[in-house]
Amino acid sequence: MRLSLSLLNLFAGMMLLAIPNLTRREILFAVPVPRGFRDTDAARRAVATFRMVVALTTALCVSALLLVPDEMLNAAAALVPLLLVGATGISFYQQNRKLAPAAVQHTRPYEAEISEAPDRLPGYWPMAFVPVLLFGAAALYLNANWDQIPERFPVHWGATGEPDRWAGRSFKGVYGPLLFGGILSTWFTLMLFATWFGSRRTRMRSVMFGGMMAIHLMLALLFALLGVNVLLRLPVWAVALAPMTVILPLIIVMVRKMSEAGEPMDPTPNECWKAGIFYYNPNDAALFVEKREGFGYTFNFANRWVWGLLAGIAGVIASTRMVLP
Amino acid sequence: MTPPRIRLDPASPVPAVRQIVDSLRVLLVEGQLAPGTPLPSVRRLAMELGVHFNTVAEAYRLLASEGWLELAHGKAAVVMPRSVPPAPDASWAEEFRDRLRGLAAQLRSKGIPAEQIAAELRSVAEGISR
Repeated sequence: MRLSLSLLNLFAGMMLLAIPNLTRREILFAVPVPRGFRDTDAARRAVATFRMVVALTTALCVSALLLVPDEMLNAAAALVPLLLVGATGISFYQQNRKLAPAAVQHTRPYEAEISEAPDRLPGYWPMAFVPVLLFGAAALYLNANWDQIPERFPVHWGATGEPDRWAGRSFKGVYGPLLFGGILSTWFTLMLFATWFGSRRTRMRSVMFGGMMAIHLMLALLFALLGVNVLLRLPVWAVALAPMTVILPLIIVMVRKMSEAGEPMDPTPNECWKAGIFYYNPNDAALFVEKREGFGYTFNFANRWVWGLLAGIAGVIASTRMVLP
Repeated sequence: MTPPRIRLDPASPVPAVRQIVDSLRVLLVEGQLAPGTPLPSVRRLAMELGVHFNTVAEAYRLLASEGWLELAHGKAAVVMPRSVPPAPDASWAEEFRDRLRGLAAQLRSKGIPAEQIAAELRSVAEGISR
């Protein structure tokens, strides 16, 4: 388990090293830069400094996971991701500030079709409701095999792979993961449609919808699997790693598709980007805009509907205490 | 048939509402938006053009005040049948000349010959059917 944790964090560190490449060429550390800027000394220095910080932190974290005594492994496993993400975030922000003077305002005219034609969803949109079938089937399976469910079973595992929380054969104990999956799925469905109808009509929007749909289905599958695992008894590592088989190819496909889309950048005003990643523009009716860093979309925090969606996330998190065993 | 499109340049010194009104008026005058055609909702057009809802609502109101659009609460703005009014007295020419002078000076400063500007203007004016 110690080795798996170390390898997982090493992998995460390597992914973080790739951050400067996982974005448009006209953006570096969330700063919109002129074409060709990435070949300058200033850009190379910024990337090298960022990567050095991430590499050193990753090395430190992985060493700590390999060397700490057994009794400290759980605490180390919890702290290491925070340290890794924290150091990456700070270094990213530092490079963002350093490159800020080189920022340019990318601009292009917005275009709009003058037509009342409805904004049609991609043909596969009904798949957003597949999770209802998944959770329903899982609940029926559990109900039909109620007597075979053990009186007591593990529901949480520590970093060492040992169970550290148990539940009994009760409604909450058995159906909890499915209920939580249902709540999460409801919120995700809402987000899926809100992102489609709340952003500009671009090819990027279609790619993003497909990606979100895949994540939505993967999460539903994961929670349905977690729910029935009390009967299937699959190894916990297999259930935990299952999402990776979807997420990794998905990242590759999405990065490729978004690069292929070849659309110019959304000319959102630079001054509306706080720290390069938070968009706040009361004069833009869009709820979601293309991200400045990475690929995908982000909220327009100036729109009050966005705060409703964010309150939904808080509700999903709060529901864990009520529905999970 | 491909629906007509309008553009809005966020970097332009011309206010967004003016850009929207001018672009839509061109489509209306050229007949690309026929009477009875519904326009996109304020929300959708504002989102596509990266502006506030009020900016598009104001543009629609201005065009409605010119007699181009019919606005009804909760319904799409619709293009109205509109006949060409009789030419006003000569006072229109002064304002028109002022606006044209600015545009012509801009083009002349870029080295475009006066004859070419005049030809372009004639071609645009004659191309507008109504």
